[in-house]
Amino acid sequence: MTEPLGRVVATERKPNTPHEFHFWTSLDCPVGIGTIVRVDGAHPVEGKIPHIYGIVVEGFSYTDLQSPMHDVLSHDGIPSSAGFAVTERAEIRLYSAAVLRQIPEEPLQPVPMGEVFLAEEQDVATALRMDSYLKEGANTGIPVGVYRAGATDSVIYLDADFLLGPEAAHLNISGMSGLATKTSAVEWLLSSLFAHFPESKGSVAAVCFNVKGPDLCFLDQPGTNLDDRDRELYEKMGVKPGPFENVSYFAPYTAKGFGLNTLRSNEALLHNVKPLTWGLREVLQYAEVLLNKDDIDAKADALIDFITERVVDRRFDQDSYLSREHTVQSFGDLENWFKDLLRGMERANAESWRTHHIATIRKVRNRLSNISTRCAGLVTDTGDVSDLPFGSFEDRAVYVVDVATLEEDAQDLIFARIVSKLREHLERRDLGVKHLVVFVDELNKYAPNEGQDTYVRKMLLDIAERGRYLGLVLFSAQQFRSQVHRRVVGNSGTALYGRMDGDELATPGYSVLSPATRTKLATLEKGQLMVRHPHFTQPIFVRFPRPAVMQGRDGAEKFPQAADVSLEHALYRSLRTIDEGVSMAWVRDLVSLYDEGELLAARNAAMVAKPANMRGFFESRLRKKIPAQPAFNAGLTPRETISARSLPDDDPYGL
Amino acid sequence: MGHRAGVISSAEREELGSWPGSAHEARRFILDRLPGSAPVEGLSAEADQYGRAEEPAVLVEPSVIEEGAFRAIRVLDPDQPRGQSGFAGFLDGTQRISIVSQRQGIPIVWATVSAAARLRVDRRMISWPTRPPIVRGKIYVPFRYLGQLADELRADPRVVDTAKDSSADKIPSRHPAALMEAAVKRVQDDREKAEQELAEAWCASEEGTLYVDGSLTASQVSSTSIKAVGVIKTHRRLYAEGDAFRVLVNLRAGERTSVFRISPQYRYPVASWYVRVREAAGHDALFGLLRIEAALTPDMSARADEVSRWIIAEGSPLALPDGRWDKMAYGIRDTEEFLRAIS
Repeated sequence: MTEPLGRVVATERKPNTPHEFHFWTSLDCPVGIGTIVRVDGAHPVEGKIPHIYGIVVEGFSYTDLQSPMHDVLSHDGIPSSAGFAVTERAEIRLYSAAVLRQIPEEPLQPVPMGEVFLAEEQDVATALRMDSYLKEGANTGIPVGVYRAGATDSVIYLDADFLLGPEAAHLNISGMSGLATKTSAVEWLLSSLFAHFPESKGSVAAVCFNVKGPDLCFLDQPGTNLDDRDRELYEKMGVKPGPFENVSYFAPYTAKGFGLNTLRSNEALLHNVKPLTWGLREVLQYAEVLLNKDDIDAKADALIDFITERVVDRRFDQDSYLSREHTVQSFGDLENWFKDLLRGMERANAESWRTHHIATIRKVRNRLSNISTRCAGLVTDTGDVSDLPFGSFEDRAVYVVDVATLEEDAQDLIFARIVSKLREHLERRDLGVKHLVVFVDELNKYAPNEGQDTYVRKMLLDIAERGRYLGLVLFSAQQFRSQVHRRVVGNSGTALYGRMDGDELATPGYSVLSPATRTKLATLEKGQLMVRHPHFTQPIFVRFPRPAVMQGRDGAEKFPQAADVSLEHALYRSLRTIDEGVSMAWVRDLVSLYDEGELLAARNAAMVAKPANMRGFFESRLRKKIPAQPAFNAGLTPRETISARSLPDDDPYGL
Repeated sequence: MGHRAGVISSAEREELGSWPGSAHEARRFILDRLPGSAPVEGLSAEADQYGRAEEPAVLVEPSVIEEGAFRAIRVLDPDQPRGQSGFAGFLDGTQRISIVSQRQGIPIVWATVSAAARLRVDRRMISWPTRPPIVRGKIYVPFRYLGQLADELRADPRVVDTAKDSSADKIPSRHPAALMEAAVKRVQDDREKAEQELAEAWCASEEGTLYVDGSLTASQVSSTSIKAVGVIKTHRRLYAEGDAFRVLVNLRAGERTSVFRISPQYRYPVASWYVRVREAAGHDALFGLLRIEAALTPDMSARADEVSRWIIAEGSPLALPDGRWDKMAYGIRDTEEFLRAIS
């Protein structure tokens, strides 16, 4: 039995309640804000000695001085003479603790007088009610960090049922930028989740949106800055200190279309980087995301609906204004359809077509055609689609969608469509995994507390409020929690806090924390978090290891972004990821024969199809041309051979 | 010796068994055992005042034992730091008196006396581990005026007869105030005995010097041991008549008087001297003035200088907020607070 470190005290002015108590300790006691303690009552209640578990939320220190002036007088106003005083004043360390749990739980009484002990590992489990979900055979604990106080080194577990549903779900992280809190904590927690999520609860995967810098660009690369203390933490929490084994990256092409628009563009890492491109069909469904409400009134909305329902992917031929049959499958097709229709209306001097006024048609044409320009690289005119593997998601896999360098419109479109598709598949139970974590950073941008309602915010609210029933779980992060929509953070069953800004801590959302806890939050070290979880009646401070994956900054140095390349090199690099036999000479020949748009379209199609006979597939996508052949005539040596002039792009026959 | 009020501790209560642990319990205890008595809700402060019957303020000619006439002797330069103290411990006692009952006008008194020695280790005060503090609760009644007092109570050593015929005290009249004064006198005697017990135990077991809040003359052991020094803060009797009085009132901070011998009736002789620990300018003549008692030794001048410097050193930190801060050592304030907490 350990020695008591303090004694409970209560006075009429400062009484104990069922929820709070006070105790004093010796001056050198290892107790601080966030320390978990156990009180053993002195008298049994209904035959049982009560045990009360509490967490220190406030500390006081004072002497028997009634006025600072007395100390000045004591030392004749000379601070240095204080050291000569023959006796040190009586001094107290007095702490207030919030009750975590009382055993027995009924009757709920004020905390009795008793001895106070530092909580040991078993006490911590009991205090945080972790004993209810760490049972042998029904263990749903996910390690989130280690609680340390004195000699106690105790793993703190989150309950998977309350992290990924169905009881509660979602996780929100707040913390100042640049202090290795938000991204590091999510990387660590995903590692822990993948290592400990019970098999009996099914499969789990994660979709992470990389919204800034290279933060999440190197999840499959080993970390370089783990030290022995980190490895100890990994070992204690039963998590392998290594990178994620199954990671896929998705990024749209650049506006030019040669390479992918991602910081993970180094040739050595391209094997698991896939393009993200959508065509008309994919985008039109989410037109609302991109179109300004002021632009799209009821009339325009009706025309867009008509186009979606009656035009796209259908043969459209029986119309008096159209000069020919149209099958609209891409933005290019749609533009041709609009052109044809408007010419026909002009010819007939018509003001409306099928109740839609010509001005409305022009406006919708303008707005829709504009999308492929605004989201160039993501939205293709040709209709080629390269998407996340909806329906074949793999267990313990991470899918990173890199939108860091995209325009806001494109980011919104990507977010809206991917989350909608995930939701659809999870509803149908055919995503490939039973549980899916969606990680979104900068939540105050996507789900702000103020401002007009956006499609993305509505979707985030929907996930936060209903996602847990589907297995769709939101892990979100932001610097200022107070600036995020209350219903999003309010529905997060678990909340993590890193070091916080003083102004943020002054907002009403933090008023439930004691001043000392708020101060501790404002001064947390790297690698420390405050955790709130439905099982914990009070926030707990834990320490977590550095993530075992390469950090964005390190990765950007080790794998620098590929420089802008020529079309030849872009094709060569892309196609080699499918077929290593691709040669530069073959690519050069093609570039000399075909125009850029055609080659890029063929490349995009090959990247989606990943055919076994890549070169055959690629060439089959190009229009037939007779390449210039070297002229080897009997009278000419190879040096004297005259190369055939390249054919004009629009004249395969060279006429 | 000095005193302050206090209450009995729960630990002591367990030791005492059914014996009262508080004035309230004593009230019920008396009601059960003394038919016809009526409870009294007397405040301890009201009861205490009976024991503060002022002694007459007198001037006494000092019997100087140091060479030369009664004079002021500088022991410390006032511009220098206070220096170090050789005191290793502090001793003080408290008492609390309550009238808990009365029967036909005869007051029945409940009192607790307590005493403790506190050890100073590395400039911090801790409990003296050798002897626990003393906390005793007793009932004080005049047996002769309570004819129906049960034999059980008369025989109990914790019931004190305050109207016993003795050579030192005359029998008090039935006047309630006289009976109260007699009771308070007995309580003071009990407190002094408790303090003596601890002081003698200190002298028998410790190497360092004990700062005793009060006189040493009641104990033969303490009054002859160099391990105890008595410090008296109240001066109803001033050992300074004639020229000596002028020397005394003009004593500056950091000065002591010549050493003189005092030999109280029924008590033991000691060496004594005055020392002023704080400048009296702007205050009354007795501000910061202490009378020191120590065992008579051959090198009394050197001893008085050394002890005086220790006493002056104990002036920091101040014993504020205690009203007697000009004279009280912080160690004694700490001991009083300790006794207040446990008694």
